[in-house]
Amino acid sequence: MGSAASAASDAAPPPPSPAQPHGAAPPYGHGLAGILPPKSDGDDKKEEKVDYLNLPCPVPYEEIQREALMSLKPELFEGLRFDFTKMLTQKFALSHSVLMGSLEVPSQSADVIKVPTSQYEFGANFLDPKLMLIGRLMTDGRLNARVKCDLTENLALKINAQLTSEPHYSQGMFNFDYKGTDYRAQFQIGNNAFYGANYIQSVTPNLSMGTEIFWLGQQRKSGIGFNSRYNTDKMVGTLQVASTGIVALSYVQKVSEKVSLATDFMYNHMSRDVTSSVGYDYILRQCRLRGKIDSNGVVAAYLEERLNMGVNFLLSAEIDHPKKNYKFGFGMTVGE
Amino acid sequence: MEKGKAPADAAEPAAACAARLAREWSTWAMKNAKVVAHYGFIPLVILVGMRSEPKPSLAQLLSPV
Repeated sequence: MGSAASAASDAAPPPPSPAQPHGAAPPYGHGLAGILPPKSDGDDKKEEKVDYLNLPCPVPYEEIQREALMSLKPELFEGLRFDFTKMLTQKFALSHSVLMGSLEVPSQSADVIKVPTSQYEFGANFLDPKLMLIGRLMTDGRLNARVKCDLTENLALKINAQLTSEPHYSQGMFNFDYKGTDYRAQFQIGNNAFYGANYIQSVTPNLSMGTEIFWLGQQRKSGIGFNSRYNTDKMVGTLQVASTGIVALSYVQKVSEKVSLATDFMYNHMSRDVTSSVGYDYILRQCRLRGKIDSNGVVAAYLEERLNMGVNFLLSAEIDHPKKNYKFGFGMTVGE
Repeated sequence: MEKGKAPADAAEPAAACAARLAREWSTWAMKNAKVVAHYGFIPLVILVGMRSEPKPSLAQLLSPV
């Protein structure tokens, strides 16, 4: 279902190991029964009656679009990127990351203004099934911290913070997640008096629907949203509607083990902005290639090639034809 | 300082005074919590990591290989 790579991690996933070899011995022995293909289990699944009291737990609310986001929004970059991750134990790792490239400065005119920047980022990760601590510190003093702690079996606390040296620019968010048998509920508290809550429920084994509500204290704004996700083994379709005037749809079709195609559509009622994109995701043995084309005239591609165990070569390209903004990047990732 | 506070307290009702103090203390706490988190988060992660099994040595932490 969806992409084969792990969905829990935010970093670019490395290409997975080769698919399982086929050619098991026929279970029915010799004779005609041995020549015919064995009866598939799919027929058994269709005849099974749906047990509405025993539905699977749905995907977390913020991750309903994860397959589409993974295929259509790779981490495109411009310039040189070098990541080195050193595992000290199985759970603890230090990482060093260098990025030399141009940063786009938002400008009032239609021109794109780029400022060359370089940054070094030091990171420390501690990954345990019950506790996850990820910290990234940049040369300009910005700290990016993520904490995920399982308080009990069903209740988890997530903290996500960006702390800066300049006053009033820091952001933080506390999330309390409760996982039930076939539902999930989440409560969020953020800076600037942001409060949010969301709830998602499995309605059938393939369909889950959820709702969210948020309140922004500083600007006295509140909003409500609904979303739903329909997935089978071969496809995932999602729909999101929010009172901020955003309607977003996405569809991902897994064409084969190695190929998925994805498309998404977003409409913003307030700014009358419509964007649609179509993309592909090839997960091959030694590389992962993602490409997409946008209705804004943007064509992007991202290649991760596995040169050796733990060494990945990256190529990133984003061509914005209407704005004449061309971004090309190359890089290398060493370590897991 | 007490002379400056006494006329202010007399003008404010007790509940508003308590609310003001609570707000000032919570702002102070948030500011200092932010500074502590900013300087102490990475050392905390390194400390937790160095104590997990199998305990890595300091040489492993500082060497680039």
